[in-house]
Amino acid sequence: MRNHSLSAVAILVALSSTGAYAAVAQSNDPNRVATKTTEERLAELEKKQKIMERQLEIEREQAAEKAKSTPLATANAKDGFSIKSPDGDFLLRLRGLLQVDSRSVSGKDDPKASDDTFLLRRVRPIFEGTVFGDIDFRLVPDFGQGTAAIQDAYLDFKYLPEAKLQVGRYKVPFGIERLQSNADTLFTELALSGNLTPNYDIGAAFHSESLFGGKLGYAAGVFNGAADNGSTDSDIDGNKEFAGRVFASPWKGEDIPWLDGLGVGFAVTVGNRNGTATRGQYLPSYKTPGQQTFFKYRDDSFANGEALRYSPQLYYSYGSFGLLAEYIVSTQKVTRGANSDRVQNKGWQVAGSYVLTGEAASYKSVVPRQVFDPTAGTWGAFEVVGRVSQLDVDEKAFPTYADPAKYARSALAWGAGLNWYWNRNIKWMFDYEHTTFRGGETGGRDREAEDAFLVRAQLAF
Amino acid sequence: MTTRTTILSILVLLIATVFAPSAQAKKGTLLNVSYDPTRELYEEYNAAFAKYWEAKTGDKVTINQSHGGSGKQARAVIDGLEADVVTLALAYDIDAINEKANLLPKNWQSQLPHNSSPYTSTIVFLVRKGNPKKVKDWDDLIKPGISVITPNPKTSGGARWNYLAAWAYALKNYQTDSTQSPEQRAQQFVTKLFKNVPVLDSGARGSTTTFVQRGIGDVLLAWENEAFLAVNELGKDKLEIVVPSLSILAEPPVAIVDKVVDRHGTRAVAQAYLEYLYSEEGQEIAAKHYYRPRLEAVAQKHEHQFPKVNLVTIDEVFGGWQKAQKTHFADKGVFDQIYQPAN
Repeated sequence: MRNHSLSAVAILVALSSTGAYAAVAQSNDPNRVATKTTEERLAELEKKQKIMERQLEIEREQAAEKAKSTPLATANAKDGFSIKSPDGDFLLRLRGLLQVDSRSVSGKDDPKASDDTFLLRRVRPIFEGTVFGDIDFRLVPDFGQGTAAIQDAYLDFKYLPEAKLQVGRYKVPFGIERLQSNADTLFTELALSGNLTPNYDIGAAFHSESLFGGKLGYAAGVFNGAADNGSTDSDIDGNKEFAGRVFASPWKGEDIPWLDGLGVGFAVTVGNRNGTATRGQYLPSYKTPGQQTFFKYRDDSFANGEALRYSPQLYYSYGSFGLLAEYIVSTQKVTRGANSDRVQNKGWQVAGSYVLTGEAASYKSVVPRQVFDPTAGTWGAFEVVGRVSQLDVDEKAFPTYADPAKYARSALAWGAGLNWYWNRNIKWMFDYEHTTFRGGETGGRDREAEDAFLVRAQLAF
Repeated sequence: MTTRTTILSILVLLIATVFAPSAQAKKGTLLNVSYDPTRELYEEYNAAFAKYWEAKTGDKVTINQSHGGSGKQARAVIDGLEADVVTLALAYDIDAINEKANLLPKNWQSQLPHNSSPYTSTIVFLVRKGNPKKVKDWDDLIKPGISVITPNPKTSGGARWNYLAAWAYALKNYQTDSTQSPEQRAQQFVTKLFKNVPVLDSGARGSTTTFVQRGIGDVLLAWENEAFLAVNELGKDKLEIVVPSLSILAEPPVAIVDKVVDRHGTRAVAQAYLEYLYSEEGQEIAAKHYYRPRLEAVAQKHEHQFPKVNLVTIDEVFGGWQKAQKTHFADKGVFDQIYQPAN
């Protein structure tokens, strides 16, 4: 376009000067054969200019026409790789999560877990997108830890923004830390309280995150019913579980900076779980942040009846400071032989974070102002994190349903860590967690304390 | 009756009410994908058909239009544009919809009278008032200094008719070198003609814009109806029509896109829509917009408004559209070899 305009000007200048010369030549030499008059030359120039303008117009029309049908392909740090139809109704986005961990744990050995290992914690290609404008989808296989499994696989029907319908396999709307994206957590592993939350389940839920200008979100649905700290791929007992969660940020967007980042919520699951020798216990086991099992029901204990969980929860951020807290109660009727009890386990955590380099703390990931580039003297963003968490198993569980000589009644963990964000996509995590126990050894003695050093290199896009 | 039975009965009634055929009038839509210059024709025709259809069936129908170069429109349908009917500039473009997308049968042209062409047209010249460049026939278009406006034959059906009309003329009349074959002479002629084309629009309407609104060119090779439209709209004091000694009989065809109408459930109304083009009202509307009607009575009534032209057909000169397309307009065909933008 610019080339055409510049060419037109060049032609005008060149021909004008030539025309001027011709006019002078004519006036000076009456015997010279007449060349084109200035008017004729100007008319020619005008004609050429009109042609060029029209050609430009046609090119623009054709480009606009082509743009209407040309898909838009993008690749960037924020959204990964995507291809989108011109009208936006069709979108395919390819993202990914790779977590390479180093885990070094001292304390009581769990024969099933290695206490000093490198591992691929999560290896997840993420396929998400939209079809026909109103239907989102997400498919996430996971190849970490030597397995192949489907984590997320769902459709989200967005015809009504106030009541979107999500169907498929995804995280149950319950625990605030569990619901954080795996790429955005403050620590490499969940706090002790996270053991009481369900993980992935299959079901359908109505939800919205954008009520009242984004101040209120909710989810309410029906799922197969997963045990604490568990995931399901089918309903083993034919009973469904209701899950509901509301989360409110009442001062979001209001001009009260220190309250803008406060959100509080409440979540509940209600169901009925029945395990059998053939179907499976349908009961949880609980792990330390170092991923050592510290509590497990006896093999002949089974879930047998009502299962209820509830959790008040909170997230707060103000500037570079962030705070996450939850309290969880999980009650399950348990049977062993002729014995039957409602076992109520409780857990809580308080986790704080502070971004040393000044970026805003967030429930989602910190975005460094300057990327890691040693040649430019920029080092990304640094975030210090700390937390305390506790999980208490109901005394009723011992000794009938769980062996007190092997498994602890309670665990208390405190942890500290450093998160180093190189850019939007690369994050290093350095955690130390110290966990102490009550019980868990023969003679009523306490299980040996656990020290876990956990390092993670993460790529997320 | 138990409560359960009562509730079930009510539910069944409700479901039956929702899904049973309604006694109320149905509303339907059709998409007519057409070539560039037919906008005014179908604006009036659609209103007339909708009125006719409602009077006949009680149902309302809305016809949506899409216009563009005929080749481009055919490609859009092949690529997924959900046309219930196509009304394009030439049969080859509808053949392409069959060959590349199998959206209608191979024998589509036999489904309606006159090879599915409810009206015909031809190619004439539109010049500035007073015909300052003295353009009388095709020979004048290849003279130096003459600027000719015609669309791109790769996208426009009208442009292909223009090109073939020029070629047909040259086959008979361009006697430049007796050592050359008529085909070689015709190619030379058309090469010279396209050397005088400064701008190639994608469709006939674009070329009309270039010539009439932008004031570019000395002569526009135009559909007859476009030429009359331009003269009537811009004024007889600005433009005039020159009828060449020979031109080509253009038979713009129409067709139902079978797979689409079956998917949409619009076969009946789409069939009626195309059939109504052959009715007296349809033919009158065509004639009003300077399309040559097929119905004898209407043709005779409007005889005076159409100049007498010596017309050749694509079958007699070029052996049909398949052959013409392959020889001249396919990739690396004659047009690709000869076209050079004018300076």
